Amino acid sequence: MERGQTLVLLGRSGSGKTTALRLINRLLEPTDGAIHLSGEDIRGVDAIALRRHIGYVIQDFGLLPHWTVEQNVSLVPRLLGWPREKQRARARELLEQVGLSPEIFGQRRPHQLSGGQRQRVAVARALAANPGLLLFDEPFGALDPLTRHEMQGQFCELRSRYDLASVFVTHDLLEALALGTRIAVLHSGKLEAMLSPDEFFDATTPVARAFLETLPVEFSSGRRR
Amino acid sequence: MDPTVIKTLLGDVAELTGEHIVLVGVSCGLAILIGVGLGIAGTRHTAVRRISVTLANVLQTVPSLALFGFLLPIPLIGGIGRHTAILSLVLYSLLPILRNTIVGIVGVDPPVREAAVAMGMTDRQLLRLVELPLAAPAILAGIRIALVTNIGTAVIAAVIGGGGLGELIFRGVASVNTLEILAGAIPAAVLALVADAGMSALERAIARR
Repeated sequence: MERGQTLVLLGRSGSGKTTALRLINRLLEPTDGAIHLSGEDIRGVDAIALRRHIGYVIQDFGLLPHWTVEQNVSLVPRLLGWPREKQRARARELLEQVGLSPEIFGQRRPHQLSGGQRQRVAVARALAANPGLLLFDEPFGALDPLTRHEMQGQFCELRSRYDLASVFVTHDLLEALALGTRIAVLHSGKLEAMLSPDEFFDATTPVARAFLETLPVEFSSGRRR
Repeated sequence: MDPTVIKTLLGDVAELTGEHIVLVGVSCGLAILIGVGLGIAGTRHTAVRRISVTLANVLQTVPSLALFGFLLPIPLIGGIGRHTAILSLVLYSLLPILRNTIVGIVGVDPPVREAAVAMGMTDRQLLRLVELPLAAPAILAGIRIALVTNIGTAVIAAVIGGGGLGELIFRGVASVNTLEILAGAIPAAVLALVADAGMSALERAIARR
């Protein structure tokens, strides 16, 4: 994987998408095989230090309910021991980036925000310490379709602005096609296919075909022409 | 009534109230240290949780008077006196504090814990920045129950020479002196009410944070 690229892990529930993601930041340890990050085997890196350099966004936000929005965004810089002023400035910059005014939202608590706003905060938090890699676990799955669409647009913007490398778990084919530079189709814990979004329409493997059948007929045939 | 009798009685009330507060304060303080400590350990190691909760449960089912009695013949830790009273009050206060600490920490929303760990918190940071602040209301509620119950139970400590307001009550019962009974019972009730109100204010202050 390179900077600016997004690897989408696509598969049905229980196919091992989330497991694969959690192996990357060592929330789980592999029984076999190895993962390399910037040329280094992650098993040789301290798990805590590793996680502080990998952004992580999950569907249920996972914001700390007793902290303000600004404190939540400053979490990793705080763990890394940045000076307070630098933490604040970074948090405000990122809130601005994800479309939340720091003046209006900075001092609010997560429960005072809508789902879309919370997910923006979670994305800002993941970006706070300039991570080399971002992990997204169905981040927009709980949002309404319009908010989800906005967030996907914002994801692409942030990706090109910060030249981010990311791994993105989803079971939504449209999302995979819209965001992925590569799409890995997972099935029963195994990699079934690795395709670019354009190649996906000509996929021959069973799960990829099954996903294509979820699209409206005109849409898929329209793309194939 | 003879004013000197009243004067002596008031002097006794003041002194014994002081003793009562020391009994309750020391035993509750120790119970908080042990209960919260064991509770935290219990959320890290299932074996610690199982053993400590079972033990605290069993202790709680022993009638308080009997618990004092059991400790009397035990050498070193038992016998007549204040330390035996404090020990049994500690044992008696453990369960609500221990259980609420565990329930409070285990009750932290799973995604919150997962995100905190995934962001690179160490176990200590997770405990200090996330789990304890979020469990604080539950832990305080446990301490409140322990404290208020303890003020009542400490009355019985007089039986094994622990001192406190129970002395007045038992003396009054023995000599069929209603005034003495009330002189012990009313301050004990007031102490319990004050403690309850204080804890309630503390809980509200924490919740507003």
